[in-house]
Amino acid sequence: MVNRISVLGHRIRGRISRRRLDEEFEQELGTHLEMLTEENLRRGMSPDEARRMARVQLGGMTQLREIHREMWGLPWLEALLQDLRYGIRQFRRNSGFTIVAVLTLALGIGATAAIFTVFNAVLLRPLPYSDPSRLVYISENLGPKYGVSQYMGYKEFAALRDQNRTLSSIAGYMFSSANLAAEGKAQHVIYGLASASFFSLLHVRPFLGRLFLPQEDRRGGPLVAILSHGLWTNRFDSDPHVAGKSITLDGKSYAVVGVLPPGFVVPERYPVDYQLWVPLATGGGPSGSFQLVEAVGRLRPGVSLSRANSELNTIFQSTLRKGEKWSVVLSNWQNEIVSKSRRLLMLFMAAVGILLLIACVNVANLMLARSAYRQKEMAVRLAVGAGKSRIIRQLLTESVLLAFAGGGMGLALAGLGKKLLILLISRNLPSLEPIRFDWRVFGFAAGVTVLTGILFGIVPAFQASKVPLDETLKEATRNASERHSQTSLRSVLVVAETALALVLLIGAGLFLKGFLTERGINMGFKSSNVLCVTVDLTPSQYPTKPAQSAFFQQVIDRIKGLPGVRSVAGDSFPPLGNRTTGLSTDLHLDGRVADISDTAFDYVTPDYFRTMEIPLEQGRFFTDADREGSLPVAIVNQAFAHTYCHEKSCLGARIESWVLKKEWLTIVGVVGDTRLRPEKKPFPEIYLPYLQAVGPYMTILTRTAGNPLHWASAVRDQVSAVDQDQPPYDIATLDELRAKFIAPRRVNMLLLGSFALLGLVLAGVGIYGVVAYSVSRRTHEVGIRMALGAEKGDVLRMVVGQGLKLALIGVAIGIAGALALTRFLSSLLYGVKATDPLTFIAVSLILIAVALLACYIPARRAAKVDPMVALRYE
Amino acid sequence: MTENRSDILQGTLDLMVLKTLAAMGPLHGYGIARRIEQISEDVLRINQGTIYASLVRLLQNGWISAAWGTSENNRKAKFYSITKVGRRQLRQEEENWSRMSGVIGRLLQLAERR
Repeated sequence: MVNRISVLGHRIRGRISRRRLDEEFEQELGTHLEMLTEENLRRGMSPDEARRMARVQLGGMTQLREIHREMWGLPWLEALLQDLRYGIRQFRRNSGFTIVAVLTLALGIGATAAIFTVFNAVLLRPLPYSDPSRLVYISENLGPKYGVSQYMGYKEFAALRDQNRTLSSIAGYMFSSANLAAEGKAQHVIYGLASASFFSLLHVRPFLGRLFLPQEDRRGGPLVAILSHGLWTNRFDSDPHVAGKSITLDGKSYAVVGVLPPGFVVPERYPVDYQLWVPLATGGGPSGSFQLVEAVGRLRPGVSLSRANSELNTIFQSTLRKGEKWSVVLSNWQNEIVSKSRRLLMLFMAAVGILLLIACVNVANLMLARSAYRQKEMAVRLAVGAGKSRIIRQLLTESVLLAFAGGGMGLALAGLGKKLLILLISRNLPSLEPIRFDWRVFGFAAGVTVLTGILFGIVPAFQASKVPLDETLKEATRNASERHSQTSLRSVLVVAETALALVLLIGAGLFLKGFLTERGINMGFKSSNVLCVTVDLTPSQYPTKPAQSAFFQQVIDRIKGLPGVRSVAGDSFPPLGNRTTGLSTDLHLDGRVADISDTAFDYVTPDYFRTMEIPLEQGRFFTDADREGSLPVAIVNQAFAHTYCHEKSCLGARIESWVLKKEWLTIVGVVGDTRLRPEKKPFPEIYLPYLQAVGPYMTILTRTAGNPLHWASAVRDQVSAVDQDQPPYDIATLDELRAKFIAPRRVNMLLLGSFALLGLVLAGVGIYGVVAYSVSRRTHEVGIRMALGAEKGDVLRMVVGQGLKLALIGVAIGIAGALALTRFLSSLLYGVKATDPLTFIAVSLILIAVALLACYIPARRAAKVDPMVALRYE
Repeated sequence: MTENRSDILQGTLDLMVLKTLAAMGPLHGYGIARRIEQISEDVLRINQGTIYASLVRLLQNGWISAAWGTSENNRKAKFYSITKVGRRQLRQEEENWSRMSGVIGRLLQLAERR
């Protein structure tokens, strides 16, 4: 073994300093010859005789040199270099072939590498914290009705925190939002609440100052805050002495104790940009009763996930009330975040995989066509003694070389496409680490490239090595006619790529249809030309209902006065908004035995339905007279009416208020259904007049005469004019919000659509190539047919028929394949079944049309053949 | 590849070169070839050039080393000498060789008796 290495080392060094070694050996042989000659002279030979004899004694110089050179080199490397040089020369000579092949491969490998970059960043790279496999996420299973919830009550969290033995650390956090006043202007911020253990669990070190102390994470503890690096830079001008300064959050003063490092992110399914953090225990209601928590922890060494799960569940059970069949569920934190994305990313990987296969098939086909032209060359090589394996090796070297050219270009494409890809899908994916190239991506790309080279090269290589020697060599200068086996092989390849392209197209078609369905959904209101602006009132400044309603009344009146404003309304839980509507607990409906549950409620101003253009079905809208002190009223939607009032009209029926028992709301109107989210069906909803039930937050909806964004700054100014300490936020048009909800599906559709389009083009090119090639081969035959009386139409039909037959077989196989595969898409599709016949048919027709076109072009050329020319051509 | 063409002759030549260098000290190619011819009393007629393949093989295995020097007639020549590892290898090869020749000798006697 040691010797082997020593020999290899010598040989590598020898290969590098070959010229010096050659010279030295030359000198050595020269000396040897001289010595031999001298001796021969001493023996009495004549000078000529002595020199001649010396040469005989030494042996053939050329052979000696050759053996020497071979022994000092690396034969396989020599062969490889030779093959590479030869390959490059070949490709230079056939630049057309090379460009098409490299481009095709670059598209396939590039798309694959780009998607893998995302796949790698999201699914493969571990959480950027130490020992990430031990980080667990703790959620609650609330039974079949409510499902698994990310959030748990603070009481349950505290019990788990204090009693568990299986976690080395447990932490809770939650997001919230508030009005921040610090160093001037008021600003609405999203902030986090975190237990003292949260940052240490993630091994975060403060950038400035310190993190939370255990005694600060306690009810009634001191109000302290940690700033994010971004907030510290933007609002505090990177003040190094920020610790100790105070900020005001929703009217309460907090002392800044530290700043987090730049780039700190909480690993979450959807990225949240927390501006600052306060201790968890200081949040929630007066007794912490409303505080919800996302709980995470770190397993003790040697403790399995299931053991920790059963221990925590035992503790959890002791906190439950009777009859609650709830449980806690532990999962690996990374899995928890990425599980939803996995399916989608797998789908994308599968799609680019198919695309890459199509590219491979295409290039294999090109290689086959080319190898027909190279038959003579192969035959000569075989005839002069090259082994079959040597020929296969040479051809595979060529194809891997080609693949590397394509792979390099593909990686460059992926580098360019990566930015676009990130732009497109970052909103769909969890925020882990930035998406970038790392060793995994490069390794993957290299692996795929080599595999691709072998995949598309192996069949043509074997074909080429089976050249029938004497026949090929005997044939005249005309290129050897294509063998039957090769023609059928190429047909099989065309069928395969048509089938693959169809699978891809059907997948994309289903996503397109789903997207169109969702985009075309009637939301129940008119979203165009409406500007949304939200204001959360600082509770300490607007503690009472009259104060709150006076603020919003003033704001609405001022905006109404702006030129070009059609109407203005307020809504506490607007559709498409961030605030999720409250779901009522059980309610009584007058005259109905069973309680009403799962009903959404919403506080609106009188002009709400007119502004949103929601139709009135029965009764009346709210008026300014529906205020505190007058009869408590409500409006319900049709879904409510259908579900709970049945044949009777809802008008006049009364609902018991969930705020005040024994207070009854009288239903005065029924309005059309609206959707909260495009993908959610309308469900029962109760509207209340805001003057009777206002909350400290409201979204102002302004219907404008033109592009609503032109009114944005004017509207913001009107809010500030009433009170500049109540910062408006989430300024957007309803159309924008709507687009945001459809965006993920739009992205899926666009990505799959572009892959499918590429696949379609490649398949078209493939069909074209095969038909065009066979036409050029059959010029003679076509000439004979035409000379014997075939019409142009007959030739056209014959050629198109040949290509179309292949395409149709491909389509049939593709449909079968798609039927088998699209089932896996069901969970990702919206509004369309995975076996939607319309999509299947439409997509098949598109593919057949492309195939027809690809056949027609060469067929027309065939039909133009002049029989005289064709027959003379020999 | 040359390496795998380890027929008896090649191995034997390697052994002879090694033994010659062990016995005579540093020698150039011509000297080695001449010495082997003398010892074999011209029974073994080789192309002198063939020892160079042997020398390269031994060099690459680290059993001998080479250095440029001046010959008795003031010629620039490459001198080869055996290394420590080479001596160890030689001892082993000698043992193998005598064991092998013993076996072959007995085998041939056996065939003779029949």
